[in-house]
Amino acid sequence: MPAAANPNAASSSLVEARGLTKIYGNLVALDKADFRVMRGEVRALIGSNGAGKSTLIKILTGAVMPTSGSVKLDGVELPLGRPEEMIRHGIGCIYQHSNMAPAMSVLDNIFLGRQPTRRFGLVDVKAQRREAEELLERYGIDLDLDAVVGELPTVKQKEVEIVKALALNAKVLLMDEPTGWLATSEVRRLHDTIRLLKSRGVGIVYISHMLDEIFTVCDTMTIMRDGCVIAEADVSDMTRAKVIELMVGDRLARESSAAAHEARHPRGNGEVRLSVKGLTRRGMFRDVSFDLYGGEILCITGLIGSKRTELMHAIFGSEPCDAGTVEVDGKPVNFRSPGDAMAGGVGFVPEDRHRDGLMSGMTVTENLVMTTLNRFRRLFLLDRKGIEAASRRSIDDLSVKPPDGRKLVRHLSGGNQQKVLVGKWLRLGPKVIILDEPTVGVDVGAKAEIYAILRAERDRGAAVLVVSSDLEEVMTVADRIGIMVSGRLRSIHDAAGMSMAQVVAEIGAE
Amino acid sequence: MSALSPNIATRLAPHALPLAIAAFVVVFSIIEPAFLKPDNLVGIVRQVAMVGIMATCMTFVIMTGGIDLSVGPVLALSGVVAFFVMEAGYPLPIVLAVGLASGVAVGMVSGAMIAFFGLPPIIVTLAMLSIVRGSALLLGGPDLHSIRDQPGYTFIGTGSIAGIPFSIYLFIAVSLLVIFLQKMTPIGICVAAIGENERAAFLSGHRTRTTKMWLYALSSFGAALAGIIQSSQVHTASATYGEFGTELDAIASVVLGGTSLMGGNGSVARTIVGVMFLGIMSNGMNILNVSIDIQLIAKGAIIALALALAERG
Amino acid sequence: MRVQSAFIAVVLFFLAVLAFFCAFAPNFATASNFEDLMAGFSFIAILAIGESFPILLRGIDLSVGAVLALAGMVAFDMTLMFDLPGYLAIPAALIVATLCGALNGVLIVKLRLQPFIATLSTLAAYRGLVYAISGRQLVPELATTPLSDPWIMGLDTYFDIGSATGLSSFIELPWFPLSFFIMIATLVVFGVLLSRTRFGRDIFTVGGNAEAARLAGINVGRTIIIAYAICGFCAGLAALLMIARLSTTTESLGLGMEMSAIAAAVIGGVSLSGGIGGLSGPVIGTFLLGMVLIGLTLLGISQFVQQILTGVILLIAVGHDRFLAIRRQKRLAANLAEEA
Repeated sequence: MPAAANPNAASSSLVEARGLTKIYGNLVALDKADFRVMRGEVRALIGSNGAGKSTLIKILTGAVMPTSGSVKLDGVELPLGRPEEMIRHGIGCIYQHSNMAPAMSVLDNIFLGRQPTRRFGLVDVKAQRREAEELLERYGIDLDLDAVVGELPTVKQKEVEIVKALALNAKVLLMDEPTGWLATSEVRRLHDTIRLLKSRGVGIVYISHMLDEIFTVCDTMTIMRDGCVIAEADVSDMTRAKVIELMVGDRLARESSAAAHEARHPRGNGEVRLSVKGLTRRGMFRDVSFDLYGGEILCITGLIGSKRTELMHAIFGSEPCDAGTVEVDGKPVNFRSPGDAMAGGVGFVPEDRHRDGLMSGMTVTENLVMTTLNRFRRLFLLDRKGIEAASRRSIDDLSVKPPDGRKLVRHLSGGNQQKVLVGKWLRLGPKVIILDEPTVGVDVGAKAEIYAILRAERDRGAAVLVVSSDLEEVMTVADRIGIMVSGRLRSIHDAAGMSMAQVVAEIGAE
Repeated sequence: MSALSPNIATRLAPHALPLAIAAFVVVFSIIEPAFLKPDNLVGIVRQVAMVGIMATCMTFVIMTGGIDLSVGPVLALSGVVAFFVMEAGYPLPIVLAVGLASGVAVGMVSGAMIAFFGLPPIIVTLAMLSIVRGSALLLGGPDLHSIRDQPGYTFIGTGSIAGIPFSIYLFIAVSLLVIFLQKMTPIGICVAAIGENERAAFLSGHRTRTTKMWLYALSSFGAALAGIIQSSQVHTASATYGEFGTELDAIASVVLGGTSLMGGNGSVARTIVGVMFLGIMSNGMNILNVSIDIQLIAKGAIIALALALAERG
Repeated sequence: MRVQSAFIAVVLFFLAVLAFFCAFAPNFATASNFEDLMAGFSFIAILAIGESFPILLRGIDLSVGAVLALAGMVAFDMTLMFDLPGYLAIPAALIVATLCGALNGVLIVKLRLQPFIATLSTLAAYRGLVYAISGRQLVPELATTPLSDPWIMGLDTYFDIGSATGLSSFIELPWFPLSFFIMIATLVVFGVLLSRTRFGRDIFTVGGNAEAARLAGINVGRTIIIAYAICGFCAGLAALLMIARLSTTTESLGLGMEMSAIAAAVIGGVSLSGGIGGLSGPVIGTFLLGMVLIGLTLLGISQFVQQILTGVILLIAVGHDRFLAIRRQKRLAANLAEEA
């Protein structure tokens, strides 16, 4: 949508940040970045992981003190590094994760910590309700003030957070991946709300990986790469291809040419290892069927919220499903728990390594043998030497740094943690290995290493199933690409014949 | 805290407990040389044997982020059960087996409710505290049942081998067994994994629920064994033994040993250090004729202080 | 505040149990029995009201029994050892109890101790303090001297509401103990504090999502300390009613009573996962427990079975709480599914 002429928009900057720099040790996270938001403008902030977006946002919310630079709001210079000051001056932020008290009413959440009071500290319920109703009316948002927040659908919860920010007189709203947990219809709803706020003169910074959304709802964009702002443009002047090019820079060219040299192995060695037929879980995914062959990498991609993770859990037996069958090597299986699936030769590297994957307070060695502990049992004793040796082998194979099995996992870098997580599943030697977003929050070097590990597994004859939202990754490692949209597996293609643009088009199509 | 002291605290925290024990031993033995007499030292271990057995057996439960408040009544129950089996004329091995089994059964019931229904451990074991106490009283009434002419059974609590009371051997045996479980078998890693990240342990193929249930059974087993020692020591079984506060002593020992109530890392060996610490403190203060009130205050203050220190470390 | 379904459930259960005992237990539906119930459980209800505050914050206070004993001993010492009048002893006892509670909060906030551990160690320390200041031991002849201060003993008064209002010509009403009215007053005051003031909202916020509370600028530490202080205050109040009823105190007063208070709060729908619950529930929970105990006694069932049943009721309550939590999640998932 072109940047519509907007009644309230005087052409003055609402937020003006100049020369923001943030240095952590040797790392320059943000390098002399300039950033502006106009009144009544929706500005997209785009960049791949590690481009410096979150540092910029944290400076604007006051969570991080920049090394140098200044931020002005309405021409007034703001004191930096103090969250309460930023809120007071009118910079509100909708975080990716919910920041509400789930058991309290919408009304209470809107006024969290700052209810208007009368004598004796009694909450002035009437004034509170009046003020909230005025807000809702002014911004045209429809919410039941007495509903309990924890029982509302996610999109409504986001709206409560928006109203909460507005109640603090936010002139600027930072929205960090606001649609991450939303279904497609909910995204549209949220966008309607954003347009409404815009028409009331609120400046919005919209951070998202979803190009579709950016082209739908944003007026302007700021593109970041490696800590620098590299482009500012009106959305109407840009194309997707151009945005992606700017975002990933010459790295994409380099990697996709490298990927082009990699031989693709669609359908691998021709033996079906994992066969999924008509798998269904009500409200999650419907009628998913596919075959996965030994010696191939099948990437399933799609928008966040297309229920790929839930599908993988259902295959692995860690979450239930309502209908459908799973076969491994032609034999029907019914995994009731991860233990069953592992006995059947299936491994699963989950998405969130902190929540689902690793014991961060335990050592690298202990984590590495977590899936294969029973193999180190002699009678009922633990074979400590065998464990040490196995761990040393894994550490070498994966080149975990530092190469010390006694190190606590929490003291490793993100990339090395991820290698340990992948490594603990490889130690199982699975016939089928499922990886859910295997390189989230991992630096470029470690990414390449993890891709090499995946290819080695494939060449060993394992069937590799990768869930990924990172198209670059999909184009780099996939032999075949499956596309999932709103709980349905829309199609599977040979990767060799696909361009990124084709994949994007199919993901975005309803 | 000043700028300097956190540093010292951080460095000392892991060794705080052994250092404190050493300090107390020095102070007590200077003030009262009798403290160091072998008799007194053996006496200390004998005194802590029951709490020690309960604490070592409860360490795993606490490592998984759980807790067992029901050990006191289980202690009473097993003594009473053993008494009645004995009265019925069964031989000693069966008496012991049934007594211990009664404890294990209780632990399995609470463990199942906690592991399979996801109920909070603190409330489940609190309810079991009430239920088991009621059951023990129903079975044995509030009276003392004296145990006569049972040399075998009496030996458990009062006998000694080579001058050392048999209950100390039991304490050592149980400690070694549980340390062995933690260090030498896969159980140790499983328990730590559940405490660190139960969901990740489940997704790594561990049978987290079943394991958790058995850990509560182990904790209750410890309490049941302590119950048998107690009833044998005082020649009576009573449903009122293991009065309120027993469980808190055991929990305090575990926590002093550095196991966090939030779960995760923990060590059975250090639990035993915690047990010895409390034992030495109370013995030393008894010798010094410190009144019960000051003892309680000191105990509370020391637990709080030790943990605040560990928190910084 | 929205009425929680857990609260409705406990009220229904309460009424069912009431009906059951009225129908089947001999002499249950009598004025004197209800008088016993009110006099014997009002102070536990006050304890449960206090205990609800830490639990709402996802904490727990194990030291209430010891605080209760300490407050009782302070009042005992002041009136009997120092011959001070009750109008000084009563506030002094309450202040000591409140400070004890506040100290729990300080340990939790400043030393970052887990509530369970902090209050476990103060449980030992406060109980020790009771022995240390015990007038019964410091002055042996006092051990058998009953309390006689008119202010304190005045707390053990009964009102014949039936005669005063003339209702007794129609129905035999129990004499209402003063402790019952004090309990109701406590419920009203703290109920209003919890549901009508900003501090109350802050408690729910901190208990429900401490991070959100911090980001909203709520002083989390202060909220926690005040909540534990309230818990201490309630223990002090309960202590005064208890020593008035017993007309003396002992070093072991209130031993294990934290368990009853926690049980009553949980039965009354205060969720251990924090941020959910109210104060009427714990009061009803207390009287539910009391009714079961008294009712079963009247039915001639051994008090040991009563203990077992108390445990079972607690399990039912926490199971029901869990059931509600699972249902909330399911409903949320269903909502999502509909939207998708």
